[in-house]
Amino acid sequence: MRSRSSWSLAVHALLLAAALVMVVPLVWIVLTAFKERNEVFSQVPQWLPGHPTFNNFLGVLDAMPFWRYYWNTIVVAFGILAIQVVTITLAAYAFARMQFWGRDVLFILLLVQLMIAPQSTVIQNYITVTRLGLLDTKLAIMAPYLASAFGTFLLRQTFKGIPRELEEAAALDGCGTLRFLLYVAIPLALPGYLAFGLVSITYHWNEFFWPLVVTETTGSRTLTLGLGIFAQTAEGSADWTMLMAMTLMVIAVPLAAFLLFQRRFINSFMQSGLGG
Amino acid sequence: MAHVVLRNITKRFGQVVAVDNLCLEIPRGQCISLLGPSGCGKTTTLRMLAGFEDLDEGEILVGDRVISSSLKRYYLPPEKRDFGMVFQAFAVWPHLSVFDNVAFPLQIRGLGRAEIREKTTTALTYTGLLDVRDSYPNELSGGQKQRIALARSISFNPTVMLLDEPLSNLDPKMREVMRFEIKELQKRFNFTIIYVTHDQAEAMALSDRIVVMDYGAKVQQDDTPLNVYHRPANKFVFGFIGLSNFLQVEAADGGTYLAGAREAGPIGGERPPQALGATPTLACRPGEIELLRDGGVRGLIARRTLLGDIVDYRVRVGAQEVRVQRSVRQPLFEEGAACGLRFTRLHWYA
Amino acid sequence: MSSQSGRIGKARRRWAQTLRPYAYILPTFVFLFIFTHWPILRTFYVSFFKWNMASPTMEFVGAANYVQAWKTPLFWQVLGNNLLFAAGTVPLTLAVALALALLINQKIRGLALYRALLFYPTMIPMAAAAMIWLWILTPNYGLLNYYGKWLGLPDVHWLGHSTLALWALVLVGVWKRVGYYMVIYLAGLQVIPEHLYEAARIEGAGPWQRFWKVTFPLVSPTTFFVGVMAVIDAFQAIDQVYLMTGGGPGNATNLFIFYIYQNAFRFFDFGYGSAISAILFLILLALTLLAFRTLHRKVHYA
Repeated sequence: MRSRSSWSLAVHALLLAAALVMVVPLVWIVLTAFKERNEVFSQVPQWLPGHPTFNNFLGVLDAMPFWRYYWNTIVVAFGILAIQVVTITLAAYAFARMQFWGRDVLFILLLVQLMIAPQSTVIQNYITVTRLGLLDTKLAIMAPYLASAFGTFLLRQTFKGIPRELEEAAALDGCGTLRFLLYVAIPLALPGYLAFGLVSITYHWNEFFWPLVVTETTGSRTLTLGLGIFAQTAEGSADWTMLMAMTLMVIAVPLAAFLLFQRRFINSFMQSGLGG
Repeated sequence: MAHVVLRNITKRFGQVVAVDNLCLEIPRGQCISLLGPSGCGKTTTLRMLAGFEDLDEGEILVGDRVISSSLKRYYLPPEKRDFGMVFQAFAVWPHLSVFDNVAFPLQIRGLGRAEIREKTTTALTYTGLLDVRDSYPNELSGGQKQRIALARSISFNPTVMLLDEPLSNLDPKMREVMRFEIKELQKRFNFTIIYVTHDQAEAMALSDRIVVMDYGAKVQQDDTPLNVYHRPANKFVFGFIGLSNFLQVEAADGGTYLAGAREAGPIGGERPPQALGATPTLACRPGEIELLRDGGVRGLIARRTLLGDIVDYRVRVGAQEVRVQRSVRQPLFEEGAACGLRFTRLHWYA
Repeated sequence: MSSQSGRIGKARRRWAQTLRPYAYILPTFVFLFIFTHWPILRTFYVSFFKWNMASPTMEFVGAANYVQAWKTPLFWQVLGNNLLFAAGTVPLTLAVALALALLINQKIRGLALYRALLFYPTMIPMAAAAMIWLWILTPNYGLLNYYGKWLGLPDVHWLGHSTLALWALVLVGVWKRVGYYMVIYLAGLQVIPEHLYEAARIEGAGPWQRFWKVTFPLVSPTTFFVGVMAVIDAFQAIDQVYLMTGGGPGNATNLFIFYIYQNAFRFFDFGYGSAISAILFLILLALTLLAFRTLHRKVHYA
């Protein structure tokens, strides 16, 4: 159609503008990270670094136990996921396929976690964690998330999608519930696990506030928290290039994972919308 | 003066020519069916008429107005064509009541409230939907949903109606009912209907004229339903309309025999026209072959199937199998029995 | 003999059958109870006590904490700030997300690239987004002030400006979340069958009419869901407040969670902090219920 080309031009122009708004800040900080400390203090922004340097990155490694932060983050994010997989699998299967007294009421109780803003229970969770003697440990960061209403809900949908005939056939073959779960249901539900896993890991890798509340020393600090704290120090707030370098170091892995598995990440987050 | 004219229209999708140089003229008030196998290009033709596809070549005119032209690179957008269209997949708005659904095109055109009410009520009455006008589509059956689509497309009195296999998603009983209703609506409102279907019974029941198409929207026959059935122009049309037998024959001793079965006896009736060459194909309908105990072309009953009112026989003659259908009230032949065939109507093709 | 053990075996199996589901949901509910249900109840409970640095043991004071909130101008400022923040963030994010989803839904070349570029902020922490924008919003050296002049933006210290600072936070919030909502809208748009648009076209509807009469109503379940999420998000904003403005200047960007954090973890007033948490919880509950009561009826399910 005659107007088709001018229409697609307009679409491209708008999308390009929006994409630039998203991407230019990222590009800007990548460039900043390679600049010398004082280069950035000019009225007119210089885009390219005059003398590109890795000093900022090295400075970050000097200024804090960066690798320990990294390790902590990995342990926290994957640890949470590992335990979540167990809790949500059992609960999701029970809600999807088992009949028991009070099932509907309990399901609503489960959904409460979805409705509750996690930040509004911060004070009490802090007290609980302290009373359990877990303050300032990685376990403290993990604790509130080991059960996941979102994961249970998502997985329940997935399990419900497994045809009943499979279960009945398995029962006729003498296969018990647990065995069915392990050998049939879980393998069939892998896409659901993947979607949930990607969302969960991203969320916990990037979390700032709760770790801020329950950690006091660098011992169990995570990357994101480390970034925030560094920004508040004298060094961090004056040395923009080092701060941008650290920002880059913190987001590098999630971004790289995203670049490689775009489709999967976007689909996983799309499903989190349908989960309600 | 033709109402709708398709002049040399061609459409390609990559290497595939979906519509190859199609020419059609449709007078005002006629109901014409585009009949053919899936993928032959009939739906693409309809979509070009609607304005959803552009033309690689050719022109489309309505009245004397050009609405699509590849030469002048002019396309009137679908919004402005003022056609009614009914889709295969019930395009009804799920979020509007039946009344609001049917009133939709009138609201788009900015008509006044009273006029909208009047026209909508008329359309609803003629499609038998008046008492469900406040219901929502998800509460209604498939037949009712398609009626909503129909009502919506006639509410603004279009001159041309495009129907794209509108009855395929309905059950057989409902299909019959709706066929009748569409015909009635056409008589009352006198619009030009272009109807796409692969169901030959539907085409025969509804149309004033059938255009049988093969791949590339190539017209095989363009004629009245009666002629298309009784005087098919070629093998393709014969095979597409109704049941068919295609048999190989050979000539010998001045007679015509089924190939490889000279001992069965000659086929009676006129000789095949010389123009068709030495080995033409004999086409005949299972309902136009008589089954005899003695005489005729000899064969054996290979299979018998009871289809309710009709008995279907497969008769083996030499290496070929002939399908014959008789009423269940006539004497039955057993499987394995000997029988004779008498062909009452012969069609010869190359 | 065998029939009796058979009966016992059967009874044992039936018990196992009845108890099994509860065993399966037990781990989840144990954690849920300790870290979700119990904290809510306990927060309400504690809110009726005086419990701070000065009184390290809890002392029942009835509604005193709530009265204190009522009388504190800062509380009302925080409430007002958060309402304003929500009013700014929610419509803006939804409108832009829907617009972007509509654009991406057109069949154009390179849409996977656009989608990735628009979505990536979801993958980085809000803390990182805060750092990025902190740098861009810096007066004198920041990008925004320099190029903003071309767009007619004022050359000010955004984060130090008593009215603009909140809008800077709105900007960061929208920037961070719009990609995620866009993707959810995309899923909602893709459910709408193509022939509905075609039917609308052939009946005379132009692009604008098609949007308002077909697209918008049919995407309303998504709008509802995303809207509720966005409002809850707006009242939970903390990372960018903590890292970019610290609630300032002069409490201009002090939002609910930050206010709770200040009172509970800087002034160590758990009693008052719990009361504010309880108030926040009730506000969100009221908003969610209100949304379901009024808007749910207007949502059209295809």
